[in-house]
Amino acid sequence: MRKEIQRIQELMEAADYVTDAPVATSVHLATILRKPLLIEGHAGVGKTEVAKVMARMLGATLIRLQCYEGLDAAMALYEWNYQKQLLHIKLEEGSGRPTEQKEAAIFSEPFLLKRPLLQAITQETSPVLLVDEIDRSDEEFEAFLLEIFSEWQITIPEIGTIKAAHPPHVILTSNRNRELSDALRRRCLYLWVDYPSFEKEVRIVERKVPGVNARLAREIARFMESLRAVRLSKVPGVAETLDWARALTALHADHLDAELVAETLGCVLKDADDVKRFRAEVASAGIGKFIPVEG
Amino acid sequence: MADRDLQGAVVRFAGLLRRHGLPVTLVEVTDAARALGHLDLSDRNEVFLGLRAVLVSRVEEIPTFERCFNAFWRAARADDPVLRGLVAPPDDRGPEPAPVETPTVAGQRREGVALETWMADEEGDSAGEPLGVPSVSDRDALTTQDFSTFTAEQLDEIARLTVQLARRLARRASRRRRPAKRRGLVDLRRTFRANLTRGEIIDLRRRRRKQKKVRLVLLCDVSGSMDLYSRFLLQFLYALQNVFGRVETFTFATRLTRVTEHLRGRPYRQVLRRLTDVRDWSGGTRIGASLAEFNRQWGHLLDRRTIVIVLSDGWDTGDVDVLATELLRIRRRAARLIWLNPLLGNPSYEPLTRGMAAALPFLDWFAAAHNLESLRALAGALRL
Repeated sequence: MRKEIQRIQELMEAADYVTDAPVATSVHLATILRKPLLIEGHAGVGKTEVAKVMARMLGATLIRLQCYEGLDAAMALYEWNYQKQLLHIKLEEGSGRPTEQKEAAIFSEPFLLKRPLLQAITQETSPVLLVDEIDRSDEEFEAFLLEIFSEWQITIPEIGTIKAAHPPHVILTSNRNRELSDALRRRCLYLWVDYPSFEKEVRIVERKVPGVNARLAREIARFMESLRAVRLSKVPGVAETLDWARALTALHADHLDAELVAETLGCVLKDADDVKRFRAEVASAGIGKFIPVEG
Repeated sequence: MADRDLQGAVVRFAGLLRRHGLPVTLVEVTDAARALGHLDLSDRNEVFLGLRAVLVSRVEEIPTFERCFNAFWRAARADDPVLRGLVAPPDDRGPEPAPVETPTVAGQRREGVALETWMADEEGDSAGEPLGVPSVSDRDALTTQDFSTFTAEQLDEIARLTVQLARRLARRASRRRRPAKRRGLVDLRRTFRANLTRGEIIDLRRRRRKQKKVRLVLLCDVSGSMDLYSRFLLQFLYALQNVFGRVETFTFATRLTRVTEHLRGRPYRQVLRRLTDVRDWSGGTRIGASLAEFNRQWGHLLDRRTIVIVLSDGWDTGDVDVLATELLRIRRRAARLIWLNPLLGNPSYEPLTRGMAAALPFLDWFAAAHNLESLRALAGALRL
């Protein structure tokens, strides 16, 4: 293993992020090749976390662009501070300055509201730009992003063209609510984050839930592994595992049993049909399928 | 090892991936070669992960990539000089993974009229085309005739008419979306510009929130006689696709297949061949099981802006209760559930099959899709 990759793994672990070779390799190549990294995976597997840890690792600022339906270029780039501009005009009313001068004044940087993308290209050092849940924006916005990524420059008619001196490191995440375009995909490095393996999940629980009982952590991870194999409509992610582990730890549990599971199942299953399905599974296969028998 | 060998190997590897359907770009090949310079070439797993990050761009491509990788990058034995092992080419045609159909170039051109040209034309002609386009209604006889009754030659003509009709509908939809003068939010940016010289705000400029586009999920029965109707529905909806945020397409007979990717950017005829390819003749139609598969794997595609269209005659050889449960699940999550049954175009038909009867309570719209007229009516139901 390359020592840079090993170092990334160590730094990530030091930043409380339980990682593995695929994540570390992708982050390594993203920083070397300076390409955006597209991270896909189910909800709650820790995609966003990668960007946060990467920023901490590089000692860079994290700039986050949260996508949502209807997000457009203005909201992502910049807007003029209209209130401030109006106020300025009022204040200048009697000053007798020529119109051109007034106009130049109010269309200058102090009146500019920088939104995430503009912020990202006007930093002193390369920041980490997190484009979170890109699948929630629409195709037009995706095309617009591609354009920004290829040039890293933005033209503001009233001010001029701003080019990034230090282009950001870009991480995009997607829950696959919408398929992204091939153009965007091919422009990015790709990382698929699956549900964690048993060992990884144990490590995550132990790392993130202080004071968790070691046996409990293993039993929770085993339980989640079996649960994800059941056909559920909303498969619990790592976030659910951690919620549950915290709840059980708060209850001073040191192992799982049928009663405890029944009482706290709401931490893990958030869909009435899934709860039914789980009960049916327990009824037919026994709780032993989820909780290993003593010894 | 010389860099050139490594680059050559990457190029050949990319070629192998392309032959198996991964659309690897030139930039990616260059990046892959660069990436190798920053990876530990003696660590096979690291090379695998690194190349995967660069050359794969969706999770579905990973299994193919893995097979190709294993076939191409021979595992280096411990006593082998590692690098020689790495760059070893596959013994020419070597152990290639199972072949995936690659379309032949010949014969594509002429057949490619439909899908290819719609895509290219969509923006181009929408403004310029005079309003008096030869209207579909000039050919009334054709618009009310059941698709299944046309001869092979007529079908081409009908396909063209379908596209024409869809285009007109698409244009109408885009006119409707023009921003209104009176209502909507004040557009500060434009208002401010317009009133700049006055010092007072007199003339308010407004804007409408960008209208969110409706998304479609199509579940097309391609068993037996349904195949033909599925084709027309697809042709119609794909011609309309600019109106929609997204169109996701699945086909089913006994099992579900996602064909969205196959439909994208392909010549129309080729697409239809693919549809026929996915059909399995083995045993009847299992609608319920197919919908269950859809809910499990693709349920995340549904939301309050998504219309689900099922095209089927409702002959379900599977469990009818499953069908009802799965329809209810879709109904709960999607904006609208539409069932198209071409047999409904036949005046003597009544939806009495067990499957159809079980489905009826869950439907927002139940109609035929057996001729052009009914497709036109369908367009009305596709607005939220």
